[in-house]
Amino acid sequence: MSWSPYDLNGGTCIAIGGEGYCIVAASTRLSTGFSILTADKSMILPVNSKCLIASAGFDGDRSQLHKVLTFRSENYEHFHKKPMSCPAMAQMLGNTLYYKRFFPYYTFNLCAGLDDQGLGCVYTYDAIGSHERVGYSCQGSGKDLVQPVLDNQLKAPSILELPPKVAVTSLSKDEAIETVKIAFSAASERDIYTGDAVEIFVMTPEHGVQKEILPLRRD
Amino acid sequence: MSISTYNGAAIIAMSGKDCVAIGCDLRLGIQNQTLATDFKKVYKIHDRLYLGLAGLATDALTLNQRFQFKHNMYKLREERNMKPATFAHMVSKTLYEKRFGPYFVEPVIAGIDDDGTPYITGMDSLGAMETSKDFMVAGTAPNSLWGVCESFYRPNLGADDLFETISQCLLSGVDRDALSGWGAVVYVIAKDKSFVRTLKGRMD
Amino acid sequence: MASTRLNVPGLDGRCAGASRAAATLALGGADLASLAGGSPVASEFPLPAVQDLDRFENNVQELVKPEHGTTTLGFIFRDGVIIAVDSRASQGSYVSSQTVKKVIEINPYLVGTMAGGAADCAFWQRNLGMQCRMFELKNKKRITVCAASKMLANTMYSYKGMGLSMGSMIGGWDPSGPAIYYVDSDGQRTKGTIFSVGSGSLYAYGVLDQGYKWDMDVDTAVELGQRAIYHAQFRDAVSGGTCSVYHITKDGWTKIRGNNHYDMHYQYYPGGHPTAANDVI
Repeated sequence: MSWSPYDLNGGTCIAIGGEGYCIVAASTRLSTGFSILTADKSMILPVNSKCLIASAGFDGDRSQLHKVLTFRSENYEHFHKKPMSCPAMAQMLGNTLYYKRFFPYYTFNLCAGLDDQGLGCVYTYDAIGSHERVGYSCQGSGKDLVQPVLDNQLKAPSILELPPKVAVTSLSKDEAIETVKIAFSAASERDIYTGDAVEIFVMTPEHGVQKEILPLRRD
Repeated sequence: MSISTYNGAAIIAMSGKDCVAIGCDLRLGIQNQTLATDFKKVYKIHDRLYLGLAGLATDALTLNQRFQFKHNMYKLREERNMKPATFAHMVSKTLYEKRFGPYFVEPVIAGIDDDGTPYITGMDSLGAMETSKDFMVAGTAPNSLWGVCESFYRPNLGADDLFETISQCLLSGVDRDALSGWGAVVYVIAKDKSFVRTLKGRMD
Repeated sequence: MASTRLNVPGLDGRCAGASRAAATLALGGADLASLAGGSPVASEFPLPAVQDLDRFENNVQELVKPEHGTTTLGFIFRDGVIIAVDSRASQGSYVSSQTVKKVIEINPYLVGTMAGGAADCAFWQRNLGMQCRMFELKNKKRITVCAASKMLANTMYSYKGMGLSMGSMIGGWDPSGPAIYYVDSDGQRTKGTIFSVGSGSLYAYGVLDQGYKWDMDVDTAVELGQRAIYHAQFRDAVSGGTCSVYHITKDGWTKIRGNNHYDMHYQYYPGGHPTAANDVI
């Protein structure tokens, strides 16, 4: 049995973009193998006032990636006298991940916020930085369980179809939050790495970022 | 690619109020290539009992033939149809007989007793049974199917609502799996009415 | 403008490169200094300090599972270039996305396709866009498709053996007419008339070869491209989603079609697919 620089720490995160809101939710259980390390580890980074980043996968790489992103975001604010917009942050995150192409950050990320038209934007990534703007996405150990539920309920249009549409879900904010809660309850039943609690961050132009905590099964 | 994902399959069985439903996708493939879009994985044993076999297609077809034979012999001897629970135990025994050279299938059995009580059970390829009171899934994307069933299932649905629910679950679940889909078929079995419908799904 | 190879040989070379790269990363990666200097971002990729890099990279590839599986095609004809792509990304048999943009708009008259690793394609074609722009600024004229594809091929060759996965077509219209080049991560660069790349390419070739004529009109050509992708999406498990068709003329590219496979299927076969031999019920 040889040493590996990576570990799987589990957890599931979801992001949804709608008209005038965006929601980022993540479970708070940190596991390794069949043990639970802690029940209240946050996977979400409110990197600046316009953007939230959620990362699932290996917690060590998540921690380092979040520090690098915080540093670069603050640097940008010093140079440009304004916070990085969500699309700009999304591209930067993609590049940051790709620069570690030959020794990747083992993190599966979601970058979400509001774009300049006030619509929710969600970007979903693979571990080496390939990203696309979508209306909703989920990453992490419970991804397989949750994604089809979101597909069925949220029905965000594809940006590839003509005539072009924006990739946001037509559901209201409360309906979307309800879908998130149902999805996490389902995931915590069948995925051993998802449980304990869910942090739900909701970003709106009027109220900024609000946080809610939903308890889940603790087994 | 592993032997049990060689052909591709997706099966869901759900129970409702005095009824059960079992549905499957219609794809037959060889790894990534799709060969047929009319290949059912759910087989009728008798009017109130259906058997779904996910996994390697050749083993599923062979096992179906063996179970049809066994049930026919039972009917001749006992002069009645097999009860779902009895059939399930027979399936389990047949699989365990091949403990050291197994059939690469995962059965899902759905049926109703004479009084209308639903019966759903699922097994692994060695015959380890798990009887469920709500739903059971099998196939190449089990997590996708578990997720939608957990989210959308409600107990004690009527036959039509059960059909709606299982159809939504099946179509959403297979859309996230490259190896299953290409249409679906759902059987609903109730004491008084049973029906079967094909579902129009994504063909990619 | 030769691309510089990574400084790989020897452990001390690697360590020096890694620490230099880490410092650059902290300052913001490949920033203006390296961009203005003309050398691509190639020199800023830190490598892990391991004995057996190849085995490590293979293991990482397993662990990270970058997105694969696709069908893309492109052909030139009398009235320009047609590029058609699907939009599915899969990790193993899990469909991770049905809405991937596999046509990368390098600039208004040059387009690249994505097959293989999505991140590799997206990153290096964006890098190519930057290099093309620098060429325009320095030379006061547009870059030819030949030169652009050569730049990409050189970059790929400099990373040969490192595990990049990219099978791309660069298409455009330059003063010598419509052109399409196939460039891949082995360093191959080939000019041609018809190409299809990806796991579903064999299905697309079947339809393309049967219907292709040099002097077909634009509508026929667009329909041929879409139909070929449709059939590949139907048969290949890891291709699917939406079919996007681009047409490139001397005035640049336009996106002509963006149809969901679901709609295309029931439009082409309203009575059901003809190969369904058995009655399902």
